[in-house]
Amino acid sequence: MQAVGGVQRPVVASPCGPSDLALAASGPALAEAGWTPQSVQMIVFATMTPDVTFPGAGCFLQDKLGADTIGAMDVRGQCAGYLMGLAVANDLIACGKYERLLLASAEVHSSGRDPSPAGTAVAQLYGDAGAATAVGAGPGFATIAAVRCGSDGRYYDRFWCEFPSSRRYPTRILLEDLEAGGHYLKIDRDHVAEFGRAKLPDTVGETLAERGVATDDVDLFVFSHVFPDVAEQAARSLGLAGDRFVVAGAEHGHLTAASLPIALDLARAAGRIGTGARVCLAACGAGYAWGSALLEFA
Amino acid sequence: MAGRDQIAGRTRIRGIGGCLPDRVVTNDELSKLMETDDEWIQQRSGIQERRHVGTDTGAADLGAVAAREALQRAGVAAGDIDCILFATLSPDFDMPASACVLQERLGISGVPAFDVRNQCTGFLYGLTAADAFLQTGRYEKILLVGGEIHSTGLDFTTRGRQVAVLFGDGAGAVVLDRSPEAGRGILSTHLHSEGKFAEKLWLEAVAAREPRRLTAEMITGEKAPIFPQMQGRYVFKHAVERSVEAIREAVEANGYSVADIDLLVPHQANLRINQAVAMTLEIPDSKVVNNIQTLGNTTAATIPLALREALDDGRLRDGDLVCLVAFGAGFTWASVLLRW
Repeated sequence: MQAVGGVQRPVVASPCGPSDLALAASGPALAEAGWTPQSVQMIVFATMTPDVTFPGAGCFLQDKLGADTIGAMDVRGQCAGYLMGLAVANDLIACGKYERLLLASAEVHSSGRDPSPAGTAVAQLYGDAGAATAVGAGPGFATIAAVRCGSDGRYYDRFWCEFPSSRRYPTRILLEDLEAGGHYLKIDRDHVAEFGRAKLPDTVGETLAERGVATDDVDLFVFSHVFPDVAEQAARSLGLAGDRFVVAGAEHGHLTAASLPIALDLARAAGRIGTGARVCLAACGAGYAWGSALLEFA
Repeated sequence: MAGRDQIAGRTRIRGIGGCLPDRVVTNDELSKLMETDDEWIQQRSGIQERRHVGTDTGAADLGAVAAREALQRAGVAAGDIDCILFATLSPDFDMPASACVLQERLGISGVPAFDVRNQCTGFLYGLTAADAFLQTGRYEKILLVGGEIHSTGLDFTTRGRQVAVLFGDGAGAVVLDRSPEAGRGILSTHLHSEGKFAEKLWLEAVAAREPRRLTAEMITGEKAPIFPQMQGRYVFKHAVERSVEAIREAVEANGYSVADIDLLVPHQANLRINQAVAMTLEIPDSKVVNNIQTLGNTTAATIPLALREALDDGRLRDGDLVCLVAFGAGFTWASVLLRW
């Protein structure tokens, strides 16, 4: 299995794009891994709020890092984007294609804030942040023991942003769509919460079973969900006491693709992850999409 | 490196499918909407006509038709797919990913579904991710779709003529698994990017990096960042150079030479680019698949659609050494060498 070496930092700055936030996070991640930007062989960038519609945030990061003309892939997996990106990164390393890959995950939600009263309630859930994880073949601070992902597209419109929409004929966004707020995030709160409460423990169970690890053998769980109370309820349903889990984004708001790595980084900095610890990450959100990972710390 | 070539279990394209809207849009029809003409378009791009959906149809709708054909030709049931990757720059919705919408259309809940957003090279980037997933044994049968609805995102006034005439709607799909036969399948993939040229070919709005990512001014204002912008000559020059480089990189990585390529399947951005690439590498026309003349640039769908056409008309044969190459927005470029 492969190693993760890196750190993540939330950055607050405006106006700026996710590639700027990821760039700021890349500095400490590369330093901890002992890599230069020119030694990175591939970028995978997970975001649902790219700098511009295209090209992807990964291309902007490639330029800002001063990396060589390496590949830069943008992955769109919403709240599970980090775990989907981690699966891609892990397997690109594990199959021997690359040795040093930078997994960037960053979001700028604030520029899409809906100023209406109903929209403010949604916007208040979110924050802006960037994270960077150095994923490599060598030794690092942790090993990716398992990572799993899943989706259920039946509910794509329970948690979505409809416009621009390529299926909108004749033009993918009209002024009337803008005036109706169709370009803002919409959440069916009850459905999204109910699904997350069931899916988070479910995906954790699958990942632990894959490695034959019991819940009690995991030192720390990190849960990410747009509603922090859903993350907490999922933890409680696994029988976890408060000192064994972290709710990602409890302080910074929901950070989507950046949520898990930032929570992991904060937990490391706070000394909550000891030598040889097992840490389980799990996220569930729009798509619906979800995932979980088991990390084994050095 | 013939020995290395003989490994079994490489990633192969087991089935391929496509979907094109029925509505054909000729250059003459476009010249009624904007100041352009058939001769100008053909001279610069080789394009005679393209397809437009002409109705409220999404990338995932075309993708679902292409996917069903690929599944049928692969002899694989939709329920046996264990991962869905969707390459697009014109998704059904701002979010979530079109892969999720496609998943709903195909009725295969539970398996992971996400989008790869790499524009013209999206199919080759997606192929690289799928190859890694199959080679580690994470998944066994992956559905990779490239699909675009460009026609709802173009400026069909004279202001947008440089870009609007080039693009068409369409989708292509492949079912990927590991070949039981030695020597068949993907030999290598090569990915590149150079973000300093991001603004040479881009779609600025929606722009999360702006204080307000989407405004009425962006939709109706003179600058129109809601439509793609391109510096054509700049892109052309880089496309030829980087495509030539990427083809050489792919063959050399496997101990072949350019002359060993049986079939070159390039991205269809501009017939003149592909002709210049083939001329530089001295690859005869008979070994190059071009169908931009009738389809325009369908971005993430060009390569699977061209592969399907070549397979159906007999140009793509068992055992052929095939090189796929693409260049586009980012800039990104990529190549794949495979033994069919």
